[in-house]
Amino acid sequence: MASIELRSVSRIFGAGAQAIRAVDRIDLRVEDGEFMIFLGPSGCGKSTTLRMIAGLEPVSEGELLIDGVRVNDIDPAERDLAIVFQNYALYPHMSVRKNMAFGLKLRGMAEAEIGSRIARVAETLGVEALLDRRPAQLSGGQRQRVALGRALVREPRAFLLDEPLSNLDAKLRSVMRTELIKLHRTLGTTMIHVTHDQVEAMTMGTRICIMRGGEIVQVGRPQDVYREPVDTFVAGFLATPPMNLLPARLDVADGALRLRIEGQEIALPLASRPGWARHAGRDVILGLRPEDLHEAPVGAATAALDCTIETVEALGPETILTLRLGRDGTELAARLPPEGDWRIGAALRLHADTSKLHLFDPETTRSIPGN
Amino acid sequence: MRSARGAALLRHLILGGFSAVIAMPLLWVLRVSLTDKATAYRLPPEIGEIGLQNYVEVFTAFDFTRWFGNSVTVAVLATLVSLPAAAMMAYAAARFRTGGWPLMLGVLASQMIPPIVLVLPMFLVFTTLVPVPGLVAITIAHVAINLPFMAWIMASFFDADTRMLEEAARCDGATRWQAFTRITVPVAMPGIIAAGLLGFILSWNEFLYALLLGNHSSQTLAVGLASLETHAGVNIAPLAAATLLALAPVLLLLPFLQTYLVKGLSLGALK
Ligand SMILES: Nc1ncnc2c1ncn2[C@@H]1O[C@H](COP(=O)(O)OP(=O)(O)OP(=O)(O)O)[C@@H](O)[C@H]1O
Ligand SMILES: [Mg+2]
Repeated sequence: MASIELRSVSRIFGAGAQAIRAVDRIDLRVEDGEFMIFLGPSGCGKSTTLRMIAGLEPVSEGELLIDGVRVNDIDPAERDLAIVFQNYALYPHMSVRKNMAFGLKLRGMAEAEIGSRIARVAETLGVEALLDRRPAQLSGGQRQRVALGRALVREPRAFLLDEPLSNLDAKLRSVMRTELIKLHRTLGTTMIHVTHDQVEAMTMGTRICIMRGGEIVQVGRPQDVYREPVDTFVAGFLATPPMNLLPARLDVADGALRLRIEGQEIALPLASRPGWARHAGRDVILGLRPEDLHEAPVGAATAALDCTIETVEALGPETILTLRLGRDGTELAARLPPEGDWRIGAALRLHADTSKLHLFDPETTRSIPGN
Repeated sequence: MRSARGAALLRHLILGGFSAVIAMPLLWVLRVSLTDKATAYRLPPEIGEIGLQNYVEVFTAFDFTRWFGNSVTVAVLATLVSLPAAAMMAYAAARFRTGGWPLMLGVLASQMIPPIVLVLPMFLVFTTLVPVPGLVAITIAHVAINLPFMAWIMASFFDADTRMLEEAARCDGATRWQAFTRITVPVAMPGIIAAGLLGFILSWNEFLYALLLGNHSSQTLAVGLASLETHAGVNIAPLAAATLLALAPVLLLLPFLQTYLVKGLSLGALK
């Protein structure tokens, strides 16, 4: 059980002119017992951050604290954290049992205790039958379980998971996702889970830490990050299809906010978003989630947008439409109920839920607060 | 159909030709070792009366047992000393870039220096500066040649895969040394054995250092066999028998070498 704190931590590769700041002065506190997700595009520094926490990568600048104790110079062996790698890194010359026992033996644990821990974890993960096999004799999913088991038997202070599910097929992945969530609930141990799968991010973590270019963009509970993205990057990264981002112009007239989007207009009462008034007369980016577009007006706060259907993806429980604003304007997506007779090329009037609109500053890409 | 068979025939002719070039001298030596001196020189070659008398003579007339013993001593000692050292050097170079490219280039370059260039300074060192018995001098020289050679071979075995395994072990609570000895070495063992076998064979066959740094009592097989060619003419038939006996350990090691070399090279396929 441990809290993990990063204070202005950087990792700089190379030196002089070629120096790369793979992680750039990040501040983060992972509370004891938390399930933290590191989410971000490839190369944003997720693994590097995780490896610094594990002690496999030196901290170039800043301070790393575990349970309030500075561990910058503490050997990974003494941090008592368990890491699960994307390719599992099972010891190929040892049986599954010995793989699991390795870390316990090093700590001088009694054989009997080792045996009972392995038996318990093997049962939890359903790998009892595999204990005497070598890693080469396991399937990918089985290896993944064994790697997880090797971390679990240690009962470490925290688990560090570097994309442990990314090599599994879709079905197994969703099974393991659920199991990890359950495990976290029963163990209550701090977990940091690196992924670039936003479904994992939304469903697994208590909080998400979204990274880009070595920096943290936003940290928060999944629903908060989803509802209030701090900038267009987060808005465009979470969920598929992501939030629609449409170039617009904001004006205030007759006590109403008027957003002009390629010749169409959305009006909403000024009182609902007083903060936006400060950006009146300027270009903005309008953010609108695909599920906030409807076929019929919902409630009072709606505005109509005329579109043209470009593609129709019937997914079963819902249908995703890709559309053009007007006849051939900006592309946008709508998430609609499955039943509907949509023809490609046909015109469609959609109704935007104006209580769910977001505005972003096109220069800074930051969200414009409504109040 | 016909042309396919023709191509196969051509292929086998070419391969057969090359094989013959390699096999003929060995077969010739085998024949000579089983006949007597007079038959040995006859052309076209005859088999004549076959017998093992030359093999008996090898042990009675020459110092064969001592040469063999010396060779075993030198090759085993040189391998045992250089193999762990080379493994650690390769590990350091692969893991920490110790010495950077100049070190590895230097290692490679050391293999390209003609042995004769090094043997004279070594001779001076071992005769005047630190006089040591012949066998010790030869062993040290062989360590000096084998260590960089083995390190060069092994550097590629301590690659990204073993590095990741070590990182897993370190997080599991292993010190760097424990991770090296319990994870990296066992995983790279086929490669390490292959490097050891290559070094052993290199040392077994080595002639120049063994000749110049040793004395009469420290003659190895390579040197001893060569000496047979001069004293009292060439005693060709026993020499052939002795040569084959000298080859025997190498021939016995070759299948192992092949197995381990292949395993060592496929170490990367850990998955
Ligand atoms: N050893 C290294 N030397 C130099 N640069 C490195 C090294 N390791 C990582 N980097 C760089 O640091 C940046 C962050 O890498 P990192 O592996 O943390 O990304 P990531 O977010 O885990 O990406 P992915 O999702 O692809 O795994 C990348 O730009 C990468 O090129
Ligand atoms: Mg990564």
